[in-house]
Amino acid sequence: MAHEMRLTTDMLISLPRPRWGFSTAAHLLNRAGFGGSPSEIRQIEALGMDEAVERLLAYDDNPVLTETPDWTKPDFDRAAERQAFRKATPAERKELQKTQRRSERERMTELRQWWLNRMMSTPHPLQEKLTLFWHGHFATSVQKVKDAYLMWQQNNLFRRNGSGDWFTLLSAVSKDPAMLVWLDQGQSQKENPNENFAREVMELFTLGEGQYSEQDVTEAARSFTGWAYDRAEQRFVIRPRWHDVGIKTVLGKSGNWSGNDVLKMIIEQPMAPRFITQKLWTYFVGHPPSEELGEALSKEFVRHKQQFRPWLRTVFRSEAFYASSVMRQQVKSPVFWLVNSARILQRKLPPNEASNNLLRLMGQELFAPPNVKGWDEGLAWITTNNLLARYNSAEYLVSGENPLRIPAGKAQKKGSPPRRLPLTGAVQLDSWLEEEDWVDAEHLLNTLEIRLFQTKLREKQRASVREYLASRLPLDTVDILHAIRLLMSTPDFQLT
Amino acid sequence: MNNHTTIKTRREFLQGSLLGASLSWTVPAFLSRTFTTLGSEQTAGNSGNNILVLVQLAGGNDGLNTVVPFSDDHYIKARPSLAIPARDALKVSDEIGLHPALGGLRDLHDEGQLAIWQGVGYPNPNRSHFRSTEIWQTASASDINEKHGWLGRYFDHACAGADPTVGISVGRQSPQSFSGPRPLGVSLEQPETYRFADTDPAVGNMPSGESFYRNLNRPSMMEDEMKTNVGGSIAAIAGSTNSIHHPLDFLERTALDAQVSSDRIRAINKGSLNRVPYPASALSNQLQLVARLIGGGLPTRAFYVSQGGYDTHTNQSASHARLLGELADGIKAFNKDIKAQGNSDRVLLMTFSEFGRRVKQNANGGTDHGAAAPLFMVGSKIRKGLQGVAPNLAPTDLKNGDIKFTTDFRSIYAGVLEQWLGTKSNAILKWSGTAARIT
Repeated sequence: MAHEMRLTTDMLISLPRPRWGFSTAAHLLNRAGFGGSPSEIRQIEALGMDEAVERLLAYDDNPVLTETPDWTKPDFDRAAERQAFRKATPAERKELQKTQRRSERERMTELRQWWLNRMMSTPHPLQEKLTLFWHGHFATSVQKVKDAYLMWQQNNLFRRNGSGDWFTLLSAVSKDPAMLVWLDQGQSQKENPNENFAREVMELFTLGEGQYSEQDVTEAARSFTGWAYDRAEQRFVIRPRWHDVGIKTVLGKSGNWSGNDVLKMIIEQPMAPRFITQKLWTYFVGHPPSEELGEALSKEFVRHKQQFRPWLRTVFRSEAFYASSVMRQQVKSPVFWLVNSARILQRKLPPNEASNNLLRLMGQELFAPPNVKGWDEGLAWITTNNLLARYNSAEYLVSGENPLRIPAGKAQKKGSPPRRLPLTGAVQLDSWLEEEDWVDAEHLLNTLEIRLFQTKLREKQRASVREYLASRLPLDTVDILHAIRLLMSTPDFQLT
Repeated sequence: MNNHTTIKTRREFLQGSLLGASLSWTVPAFLSRTFTTLGSEQTAGNSGNNILVLVQLAGGNDGLNTVVPFSDDHYIKARPSLAIPARDALKVSDEIGLHPALGGLRDLHDEGQLAIWQGVGYPNPNRSHFRSTEIWQTASASDINEKHGWLGRYFDHACAGADPTVGISVGRQSPQSFSGPRPLGVSLEQPETYRFADTDPAVGNMPSGESFYRNLNRPSMMEDEMKTNVGGSIAAIAGSTNSIHHPLDFLERTALDAQVSSDRIRAINKGSLNRVPYPASALSNQLQLVARLIGGGLPTRAFYVSQGGYDTHTNQSASHARLLGELADGIKAFNKDIKAQGNSDRVLLMTFSEFGRRVKQNANGGTDHGAAAPLFMVGSKIRKGLQGVAPNLAPTDLKNGDIKFTTDFRSIYAGVLEQWLGTKSNAILKWSGTAARIT
């Protein structure tokens, strides 16, 4: 902390060159991406910090990496299907709705896995990490939107615009069909404007609670009327007859404002750059910036004309980003936990439904944030329930089997031989363990700690795992898998 | 909190597990011995063991269509398509009726087990879901940011040294109500999965994987305490860490709470059954679990369950009716279950929502965020029927189109703390108003 205080003259000074090394490289890859194996970290390390940061930042708007699901292409049958639905009898409609609900569910499962796989294998992890940030920021849930195609569109919007210009992104999200449905803007008419979007755009997306008045909410809601959603075409449309053309007073200015005018006025508020940079900083760093640092981050953003990419460059190169109060002090989000664990264990993600189940149990189901505020990050991820879910998910990832399916009594039965796991879904240790690891427990411990923690374990933990390994000699695959599960079932493993 | 259970503090747990660790890994046996002695003491009839069950209606429940002023012209005029007609309202007085989906609550009303507190809110109401929820959870004034929850502060003041299960939230998240300077309270979704599932059993004298899990999840800071502070006061132990918001300390504490409460809750859940059928809904499932844990004698003072979906900006009629139906039917079954256990004198259930909704409906057949609203209490020892003053709906009596509160929610909390949980409320609520008479 004292170290951070010294930086008030230049809060965002770069990391001194000698501090770049394996652990700082690991930190960058963990925070700006989803981490990686020791060899991936060494590659980043070898680049030097500046080049490493450039590599992370350099990507096209939306590179084609993985085949998108079929249903994400324009659906030419949609109009005909809607027509058929209108003509159907009530009984037929019920049947059609049932089919549709099933297909939507399947699509969402596909979409979730598609995104998770992208996080796993993309050469541009920062793009996916930012997409995840924006998903939590403009938190939209499929539970209300009920249309996988719209959720996919919004997800791609975040991917395309997530590192560019703030106003461009905000304006695009405000007209995004999933958002129009989610916050009811798509139906708001001048006779009685719906305030849902107008409130949240100021409270949660741009300014923060207390930075606007109740009158601003109602007047902004009037200004946004006419921004509508065309259900047949699945797109944004302006309906002039729904729009209130009267004089509206928003944030101290009066005029016949349109929705775009209001967004511009919001983003020009002095608090706006502070609000969004503070939230981004907290996402990447793990805790909010000090007052001075927050101010510096905001100024830096304004200096770059509210463009995220150059601002992120400053952040990822700053000494403050690599402070000891930051490194290995962030609670992993469940999505990070899953993707990162699979990456460092060099295994595939569990099959579609299983991946999603693990995430739900740990408290972060993609495309279904708890509410428009998104997930509470940080310590809020950790409850007694979710921590045990992480420990059990660890077993699933390591062995490929859900440990909760095995009745507790059976597993605990005294005197029965140790259960040999079916290894089909298990981590393939051969692909990364070294020969000595099988015969030398100390060597194995070193290998595991660098892979799982990218640093030294606390001696207490180390002693405990050493004792475990000693109790299992000679070690076989199952013993080592169990040891990995134990290492993942610690408070320490929940931090990055 | 003077029960005689053997393990009620982390410290005692720690002593137990350290002891266990040195004595060939007998921790699970040690714990289960404790739990068998526990069940018998905590069951029915112990008046010092009153229980509060909080039901959160998340999203802002439309109070006017819940407790309906069916004969009020202002109400009818403000809600051309949403007003509940007089003929449909379940009457509890000449002017007030319940939403037709609240049949279950009307039955409880007729049995004298329901209180309807009208116009509950606070000065300068905030219309943000998150801020207003925070205000209700922390019992703060609307212009003060209070970090800790009102129940967390209660645990801290009145239940020092208690087991973490003093507060149980059913679900994955921990409500802000429970957060405190020294966190207590656990959250769990299902007892069956609330455990470290071991696949690495003990064989011969080779210890199980689980025993290593227990060891790895024993907080280091507490170990240090054990060395230096054996025999010291419990408060000194809990207070010795000034870094509870340091992530690793927080994780270690949570890990220990998970361990202790998992053993205890599963032991209790196994031996406890629901005695009545429950309807099928997420809320019902939560209440069902609460009833089992109460029946099994868990020494919990506050349970927390939650029902979402009340943010009815569009087409609210059908969805609101469904929500209220689930609420009333779930509560009714729960009440019956608790009665069958013989615990009805010990259990008070209370609902709350972050705000009511605007008096005037919007153009989408819905309602926008509002202010004061009614809340329900269910129990056999409470002051029953309509309580407090019905709000006035005349446009001139509204503030920005919203209902003015007639009862401050903190006076209800004060009533609950003093008359139900048996503790002084001022220091906990940091509020000096008068407690409502709830019993």
